[in-house]
Amino acid sequence: MSATLGSQTDAPALLSGAAVGAAGGTTVATPTLRALLGRSSFWVIAAAGILAIAIVAVLVSGGTQAAGRALAGDNVSPAGSMALVEVLRQQGVTVTLASSLAEVRAAVGTDSTVFLYDENSYLDQSQLGELGDLAAHTVVVAPDFLALQALAPTVGFGGVSESDTLTADCSVPAANRAEELTPGGDTLSIPPDAGNPLLTGCFASGTTTFSLVQVQNDSTGGIISLVPDADLFNNENIAHYGNAALALGLLGLSDSLVWYLPTLADLPRTGPPSLAELTPGWVTPVLVLLMLVAVAAAFWRAARFGPLVAENLPVTVKASETMEGRARLYARSNARLRALDALRVGAVQRLALAVGLGRLAHLDEVIGSVAHFTGRAPDEVRRVLVGAIPESDAQLMALSDALQALEHATGQAVQPGSAPAARASASVSGESSPPPAERMDP
Amino acid sequence: MTLSGRFVLLLALGVVPVVLFGLDTVAATGVLLLWLLVVFVLGALDLVLAASPRAVTVERMLPARVRLGESVTSELYLTNTGRRRLVGVVRDAWQPSAGAGHNRSRVVIPSRERRLVSLTLTPFRRGERRVEQVTVRSRGPLGLWNRQATLNAPGRIRVLPPFHARKHLPSRITRLKELDGRTSVMVRGQGTEFDSLREYVRGDDVRSIDWRATARRNDVMVRTWRPERDRRVVILLDTGRTSAARVDNEPRLDTAFEASLLLAALTSVAGDRVDFLAFDRRVRGRVQGASGAALLSQMVDSMALIEPELIEMDWAAVPGQVRSITSQHALVVVLTSVDAAGASTGLLSVLPQLTKRHTVVVASVLDPATVLAAATRGGRDEIYRAAAAERALLDVARVSAAIRRLGADVVTASPEQLPPALADRYIALKAAGRL
Repeated sequence: MSATLGSQTDAPALLSGAAVGAAGGTTVATPTLRALLGRSSFWVIAAAGILAIAIVAVLVSGGTQAAGRALAGDNVSPAGSMALVEVLRQQGVTVTLASSLAEVRAAVGTDSTVFLYDENSYLDQSQLGELGDLAAHTVVVAPDFLALQALAPTVGFGGVSESDTLTADCSVPAANRAEELTPGGDTLSIPPDAGNPLLTGCFASGTTTFSLVQVQNDSTGGIISLVPDADLFNNENIAHYGNAALALGLLGLSDSLVWYLPTLADLPRTGPPSLAELTPGWVTPVLVLLMLVAVAAAFWRAARFGPLVAENLPVTVKASETMEGRARLYARSNARLRALDALRVGAVQRLALAVGLGRLAHLDEVIGSVAHFTGRAPDEVRRVLVGAIPESDAQLMALSDALQALEHATGQAVQPGSAPAARASASVSGESSPPPAERMDP
Repeated sequence: MTLSGRFVLLLALGVVPVVLFGLDTVAATGVLLLWLLVVFVLGALDLVLAASPRAVTVERMLPARVRLGESVTSELYLTNTGRRRLVGVVRDAWQPSAGAGHNRSRVVIPSRERRLVSLTLTPFRRGERRVEQVTVRSRGPLGLWNRQATLNAPGRIRVLPPFHARKHLPSRITRLKELDGRTSVMVRGQGTEFDSLREYVRGDDVRSIDWRATARRNDVMVRTWRPERDRRVVILLDTGRTSAARVDNEPRLDTAFEASLLLAALTSVAGDRVDFLAFDRRVRGRVQGASGAALLSQMVDSMALIEPELIEMDWAAVPGQVRSITSQHALVVVLTSVDAAGASTGLLSVLPQLTKRHTVVVASVLDPATVLAAATRGGRDEIYRAAAAERALLDVARVSAAIRRLGADVVTASPEQLPPALADRYIALKAAGRL
C-alpha cells in the first residue's frame, strides 16, 4: 500500500513530454535597424533640430559678444577700436593687425606707422627699443614705465589731468587740428628745463604735464607719439571732442599702419624645452588610439546578451525577530525583574509538570512539592521561585543559575531509580511519574 | 551588433604601426586614421558576412512539472533557416531561480539544419519558473563583430513542493492498519464501526460479547471494530502574513504544505475524504472531491503557485468557507501560527463556531530557536534573550490553553516534527473515534 502511495506522490515529477513552443514561426523581439530608426526618428530629428538651433544661437550671439581685447582693431564693443580702424581703411590706409613683434617686423615698411598698446606689459625693454627704431611713426598708447625708459627716458608720469579743458597749444599739426581732447585722462610730464628740442608736449594740464608727448628718435629720426590716455581712441570716446582728429592725424600719416597689440607670443622663452617639444610625434595619436581601444573594450564588455530577466523575490522574515527585539528591549531598559519573572513563570510551569501537578497548580503546592523532592528548604525554594528581587546583573545571573539548578535537581529527583528517600516521598505525594510525551496511542 | 575581444585586440595592435611609421605628429595621425579605416572595414565586412540570427527558429521541449530539489532537462531545438552557417553563442534566458546555471551554449548550425541545446534545470524555488526569450549571437568569419537577436520562445515549468515528509508515511500507515480489526478492549468509542464477529479468546472484554451470535453458533463470539471510514477532513491553510515568517530557514507556509500533504496522503489511505483550502482574504488554492492518486497531484499542483500574502488573515470568513465545503461533521485542521495573544484574537473569536459543529485541530510551527534560547543562560544578554524566549513560549502556551478551552486541539512542533506530529494526532483522533 505504501509503495503504491509512494508512486502516486512521485507521479507529478514523472509527468513529462508536454511540448511548449511553436513549430516554425518564431518571432524576433529585437527590432531591426530600420524599425529602430523608424521608431526613434522623432527623437533623432528633434535632437538634430536642437543642435542646429544651438549652433545658430552661438554663432549669432558670438557676433555681438562684448568680450574682446581693449583697443583691438576688430572689436566692435565700446572698449574696442574698430571704428577708428575702419575709418582709416576708408581713407585708404592699409591697416595690418599684428599680435607679435615678428608679425610687426614682417609687415612694417619704410614708411609705416606702428600703433602699440601693450596693456599687459608683455614687451621687455629691448623689444620696445627695437620697436621704436622700426618705423617712421610710432604711436604708443598708455606707455608703461618700461616703455618710457626705452623710448623716452626723460619723460615721466604726470598723474591724472586736473584741467577741465585740454587744448592743443603746440606745434604738432595733428594736435592743432584736434584742438581739444576729452579731459580727465592720464598725463605725462616733461622735465621743466624745456631745452630739449626732441620733446614736444601738447594738451597741457599744468606747466609740465601733457596729454600728448612727441619724441624724436635721435638715431633714426623717427617720431614717437606717446598718448597716455588709452580711452581716447576706443569706440566709445573716439567721436568726442577732437579725439578722432588727433587719432587720424597721428595714425594716418602714412599709407600703411600696423596695429600691434602684444600677446603671450612676445614673451621671451626661458628654462628647459617644454614637454611637448621633447615627446615624439606619435605620442598623441597613440593616446587617441588607446582611448578608442578603451571605448571599444567598454562596448565589448558592456554589450548585454539579451534583455534582463525579472524575478519576483520572496519575502524573508525570520520568525524569531520579535523575540530578539524584546530581548534587546529588556537589556536596554535593565528590566531585570520583568525578565526574571518570565523565566520564573516558565520554570514554575515546568516544575509543576515534573512533580506531577497540573499546569494550573497553585504556587504553594509546587513549592512544597519541589522542596519535598529535592530535599531543599521550602523557604529557599520560595526565594528562588518568587521571593528574591535582583538588584544587579550579577544577582540576576545568580538567580537564573539557581532556577536552572533547581529544575535540574527536580528532574534528577523524580526520575525512576533516583534516591530512595525521594522515591518514598514521591509515592506519598501521589502521582510521581513525569508525564510522557503527549500521545494517545493505544 | 556587438564587438568581440578580438576586435579590441586588433584595434590595440594599431599602436605598432603608429609608433613604427609615425615619425612626426602628422605622419602618425595619418597612420592612425589608416589603421582605423582598415579595422572598421574589416569589422563591417565581418558583420555583413555573419549568419543572420533572425533566421533561427526555436522549439522548446519541457517537462510540465518538477519537484523542488530535483533536476530536469530543458531541450531547445534551434533551426537555422538562413543560407549561411551560423557559428555563435545561445543564451536561454531562464529566471535565475530556475537553476539553469551557466546558460550560454556554443552552437554551430549549418544552413537548413537543426541542433539541440539542452540545459539541466535545478529549480531552487517553488512556483512557476518561466523563460521568455532566447538570445542568439552570431559570429562573423573573422570573429570581430557579432550579430545578435533576441527571439521569443516562452516556456514554463511548475516546481512542486518537495514533500520531504513522505518518509514518515509508511510507519504511519502501519499504525493506521493496526487500528483495523481491533476488539473493543483496546479501542472503544462511540464513533467506531462494527466490523465482524470472531471467536472469543482469553483477554477480550466481556462487554463486547455478542450474545445473540453466541446463541446461534454454540461458541462465545465477540464483536470487533474498525475505525470509521468516509469521514470528512478539511485542511485549511493560513496564507496570510504570518505564514511568510521563516522558521529554521523555511517559511511557515512550506512547513504547512508538508504537514498537509502527509495528512492528506494518510487520510486517503484511511479511507476518509480530504478537502484542501488555502485562504487569507480570498481563496488562494482549493482541492475538493479528489481522491487517491489525483488528490496528491492536485494538491501539489495548486500549492506550487501559492505564495505567502502580506495581508492579514480574514478569520471571520473562515467558518463560511468551511461550511461551503461541508455541512457534515468533519475534522477541520487549521494550519496557522499560534503566536502572541493579540495576534490570535481573530482565530480565537471564530473557533467556537467551528468547534460547535466540527472537531478542530490547530497546528502551528514552534520555533526551535526560541526553545533553544530559553535554555541558554550564559552572560547578561543571553539571560535577557532567554527571558524573551520564555515569554514567547508562555504566550504560545496561553493561546494554546485558550484554544483548548474553546474545544479545539493544538499541535505545535518544530518544522521537521510538525508533519508527523499532526499525522499522529489524526491517528489518535481516529482511534478515539472522534472523527
